[in-house]
Amino acid sequence: MKREIPMIITFVSGMAIIIALFVPHPPFGRVEETFNNWYIIISGFTMILGLNSLLGHNLDKVKRKAEGWPYSLTLILSFFITLIWGIVSTIRTGHIFASTSTFRNYYYTYVFVPLQSTMFALLAFFIASAAYRAFRARTVNATLLLVTASIIMLTQVPKGETVMAPVLGVAALLAVWKLMSEFESAASWTAGLPYLLLSIAIVAVYLPIVEVLRTQTTAVNDWIMNVLQMGAKRGIWLGIALGGIAMGLRIIFGIEKSYLT
Amino acid sequence: MTIFEKQGGIMGLFPFIFALIVGLTGPRNVKVLDKPNDDGSAVIIEWDSASVTPAVKMISIYKIPEEMWGHGSIKVVDLLSRNTFRYVDTQVKPGKRYYYYVRFWGEGDYIDSKIVGPVVPKAEWFHKERLPMLVVLLIYGGLLAYFLKRIRKGEEVYIRPIAGLQAIDDAVGRSTEMGQPVLFILGLGYINDIATLAALSILQRVAKKTAEYESELIVPCFDPVVMTAAQEMVRSGCFEAGRPDLYNQKKVFFLTNDQFGYAAGVDGIMMRERPGAIFLMGLFFAESLILAETGHSVGAIQISGTTSITQLPFFIAATDYTLIGEEMYAASAYLSKDLHQLSTIKAEDMMKGIILATITIGVVLETILTLLGKPIPNYIKQFLEGGLWK
Repeated sequence: MKREIPMIITFVSGMAIIIALFVPHPPFGRVEETFNNWYIIISGFTMILGLNSLLGHNLDKVKRKAEGWPYSLTLILSFFITLIWGIVSTIRTGHIFASTSTFRNYYYTYVFVPLQSTMFALLAFFIASAAYRAFRARTVNATLLLVTASIIMLTQVPKGETVMAPVLGVAALLAVWKLMSEFESAASWTAGLPYLLLSIAIVAVYLPIVEVLRTQTTAVNDWIMNVLQMGAKRGIWLGIALGGIAMGLRIIFGIEKSYLT
Repeated sequence: MTIFEKQGGIMGLFPFIFALIVGLTGPRNVKVLDKPNDDGSAVIIEWDSASVTPAVKMISIYKIPEEMWGHGSIKVVDLLSRNTFRYVDTQVKPGKRYYYYVRFWGEGDYIDSKIVGPVVPKAEWFHKERLPMLVVLLIYGGLLAYFLKRIRKGEEVYIRPIAGLQAIDDAVGRSTEMGQPVLFILGLGYINDIATLAALSILQRVAKKTAEYESELIVPCFDPVVMTAAQEMVRSGCFEAGRPDLYNQKKVFFLTNDQFGYAAGVDGIMMRERPGAIFLMGLFFAESLILAETGHSVGAIQISGTTSITQLPFFIAATDYTLIGEEMYAASAYLSKDLHQLSTIKAEDMMKGIILATITIGVVLETILTLLGKPIPNYIKQFLEGGLWK
């Protein structure tokens, strides 16, 4: 029964939500809202478990003087400062975010928000380092990614159309130089022929492509974003939607029981 | 009832007369409709956009329930913007009769529409616009039953290898060899997100593997409910491996409910603990790359999986293996090798095939008809939008 009862509850709740999706008439229409309210109430209580876990975990580290215990001590102190300051501010002003609340005007504005912004700002540097790794043209796929991303960046930055020709020119020269060195080091003339042909192709299409990109900047950008990118995105969305339904049905009908530990 | 009666006699007519003098015209073509496909708790009030002249500054709506007829009205909403031409009143009860009128406000003056109604909100037994959804669900259910039947007859099911899932054992093994812990990050999802449920299934498998290898597993959580579920999953993984003694509840802990606070906390754990393998599974938002890049900087092997489509490129760029969308949902079936679970993936693939075939046929037909210069029958489009029953 330890497994059957949760499975019955899951089945009944899941079916009720599915029925509510198609039957708006009471009592079905508000089932989802009711369940969500129940979830909010339950999750409110589990916050106590969360705090117990957080404080217990860090207090234990401080007691044992485990490696990095000053960080745990900082966390515990910050927790109690936030809690007490928040409660005092609420009692004094009636609302924690009232305009006269010292919690809002000092702690939230000058500690909390800058800390969050600092973490968010790190993203710019991480994007640069991740892009550097992703854009190294080692394979055909990575090269395609590099070329497409470069075009999108050049079509979206100010004066992009002006710098497009020299930037793509340098990129084309580097590509031709790399291909020609591959051609030279090829074992035989026939083995190196594809590199030679590709170099010739790059030189031949460089000017027409730059001209199209320069004069049709918005159209090229829109085409890449709305056709290539959106097509791939929708394919993934389709998979996610069907996968979600499959997973939901597996759980509702008790085919998947991994959540019953 | 006339405007005169409604406004309380001759005194009430002054703003109305003033409105006429300054050129404020009343709302025209006011319509009240029962909101379709609902539980009878809403009424739609619409008026002609052309009747909103520049003299109109604000709009109010009044309601007269049947029992209040002749005894005034209730203000439904005050001060709607002049660009509003439609309002949904959700403060109604099914089966009761309601009358409405709309008031246009000028500079202190106003003018009312005729009283329109009655409208009787009705609770409906079927949401007609969701019929296509029901059809898809029934086809999918049929396919599911079909594949389950075939599997019960002993038929084999082939699921293509998923590199990210195959790499789980290697990642845990590498971490064990290096004597470093395994870090499992469940993202910012809640327990009602299917991606989080899928991530929990993978966590169980990872917990089993770490218990078999006697390796340490750290699971910092964003949500206390998810933390409770994660603790159960890790415990069950240790039990399955026959090593319940290795379960340490303190290693599956709550960190914070704040997005960047969580990112900072997890980054700190990565820098201090130097995990050999990092799993990023579940729902991620702007913090995804912060986590993945820090993981890369400590030299860990990283396996990620998410259904957040905007974060997938970051994971693909920054981690070693990525489970893309549906691959994550398929993970528990794939890892368990349970034939019943695998049959649902087969049904999913078949459904995807049907949808892709339908899209292809639609594109081809529409292209041919456009080239021939013939009008395109819109039945399928209307069916998909639920328009055939509107």
